Formats: sequence, structure tokens, C-alpha cells
Amino acid sequence: MKLYAAALLILLPCLAAIPEVDKNKALGIPTAPVRIEIFSDFTCPHCKVLHETELPQLMKDYVVSGKVYIVDRAFPLNGHQFTREAFGYAVAAARVGKYQQVADALYAQQAVWAQNGNVWGTVSSVLNPADQKKVQALAKDPGVLAEIEAEYQEGVASGVNETPTLIVTAGGKRIPLPHAPDYRLLKSMIDGLLPK
Amino acid sequence: MASSQSKTLRWTLLTLRVILGAVFIYGGYVKLREPWALFAMGIDSYHLLPFQFVEPLAKTLPWFEVALGAWLIGGFWLRLSSVTVSLLLAVFFTAMVHARLAGEQINCGCFGPGEPISKWTLLRDGSLLAASLFLTWQAFRAARRKA
Repeated sequence: MKLYAAALLILLPCLAAIPEVDKNKALGIPTAPVRIEIFSDFTCPHCKVLHETELPQLMKDYVVSGKVYIVDRAFPLNGHQFTREAFGYAVAAARVGKYQQVADALYAQQAVWAQNGNVWGTVSSVLNPADQKKVQALAKDPGVLAEIEAEYQEGVASGVNETPTLIVTAGGKRIPLPHAPDYRLLKSMIDGLLPK
Repeated sequence: MASSQSKTLRWTLLTLRVILGAVFIYGGYVKLREPWALFAMGIDSYHLLPFQFVEPLAKTLPWFEVALGAWLIGGFWLRLSSVTVSLLLAVFFTAMVHARLAGEQINCGCFGPGEPISKWTLLRDGSLLAASLFLTWQAFRAARRKA
């Protein structure tokens, strides 16, 4: 009993360090045997490639069948001018169940808003007027800003120093992957981690 | 005096052999503990090898490292084992320097994931290479003396 309590005491801070998963920013079922956290930045070109080419593959190969659960994590890189604003809108959109639409739009129009700074123009294009109002209000909510910061800090604590960084969790083990892995290798890795 | 010097050298060489061997065994073991694809991603991130070589290398190199480490500690055919270790370390070190000069922020991959290439990793691998070259030089010198 004492041993159990001691183990719990050691593990509690670790559990507290990992932010809760906002289900609107996740894909698949939470009980899937493999979880992939994607730390990304909306202004990063590699993140755009991952989002637009590898994520649909992952969806098709593993998420739809319930083998993998994907969680998006905010990792706004320092020095990227409009990225925090973009994350503010995206996380706010998650609160109204429109995260994926907004994330898709932000990546699709990355070259535009990252240049001219009109982030809202991109975000609002995929929201109806009612959601636009909610998202604009929520984007300034301290809770939304705190969520972005908590995920960023979690990334830093996990050794994330570039984007996109994928952290795979399976069987209680958390494994950070090298930067932008080739999909064929990612697939081999997931296959190796899935229960036989 | 000469005998004391040669005794010191003998102990130094034995220590180097054990350290280098242990480092290789540990490096191989750490990689074998993880899924092979993770090490393959690390190799691929250097962008030095065609993709078709990445998988076979990721599957065999950790075993080779363990065997090489044990061979070096065993001390037989020391010239061959020390040359092999030196060549391997030279390849690793060159790849790391190349990545660093190219400004790539990638992981070293030396002892598992999550260790970005830094001045520290270069210093560590450079020191191992220097130790290995010294060992190789001494192994050839000893063989020449015997002949």
C-alpha cells in the first residue's frame, strides 16, 4: 500500500504536466492503443505538408480503424509573427467544434495570412456568422490563451524544439520522433507498436 | 622506469578498450530497446543515405555495435577491431559535423531519441574518435614491436 502511494505521489506531477486533451482537437477514439501528439505551428511549411499529406494517410490507415488517436498540440514558434493569433482562433474554434475546419483553412492559406497578417480573414471564411462571433470572443479568453501556453510548455518539457514534432505513446511509453519522419517509417513504427 | 611507463600505458589502453567497448554495447542496446523504425527515422533525418538503405542499416547497425563493443573488450585481433571502431566513429562524427554545418537541427541518434546535435555531442563523439585512433595506433605499434 505504501509502495502504491509512493508510486502515485511520483506519478501525479507527471500526469498533471500533460494538458487535458480537447476532444475537438483530436481525431479517433481516445482508447486507441497508439496515441500520436503532433506539436505543430501553423506557419511552419513542414507542418503544412504533414497536415495535408501525411495526416489524411494516417486517418485512412489507422485512425478510422481505431488503432491510432491523434492529438493536435499548439507549439507556436518564437519569432513567427502571427502564429499565436492563429492558435488563438484555432483553439477558440475548437470550443465551438470547428477546429479541424479552421486548421485546414489556416494550413491551406498559410502563405497568404503569414505574409499579410490577415489571420481572421482566413479563419472567418470557414465559419458561419454565429460561430465567427463566438470565436472572436473566445480567442481573447484567458482560458484559451492559457491552453496554448500550457501545450507549448508541455512541448518544451518533452524536449520539443522544432515543428512538427510527433510524440508517440503506446503501452505507457512516450517516444518523441525525429523531425518530420518519412511516412513509410512512421507506418512501420506504428505497426510495430500495435498489439499483435 | 620504462617498465612503470609501459604498465601505465597497458592500463590506459585496457581502460580505453573497456570504455569504448561499453559505449558501443550501450549504444547498440539502447537502439535495440526501441522499435527499429525509430532509429531508421534518425538515420533518415541526416539525409545522407538513399531510402532503400535506411531500413537494412537501422536493423543491423545496433547488433553490429553490440558485437563490435564485445569484440573490442575481448581484445582479440585488436588491430582489426580498433580500426573498425575508428572507421565507424569517423563516419558518425563526419555525419554529425555535416548536419551541424548544414544548420540542420536534428537528433544525434547516438544513444536513442531526444538528443539534438550540439557542441557537447560533437565533443563527446570527437573524444571517442580520438581515443579510438590512439588505441588503433598503439595496437599497430605493439604488433610491429612483436614482429
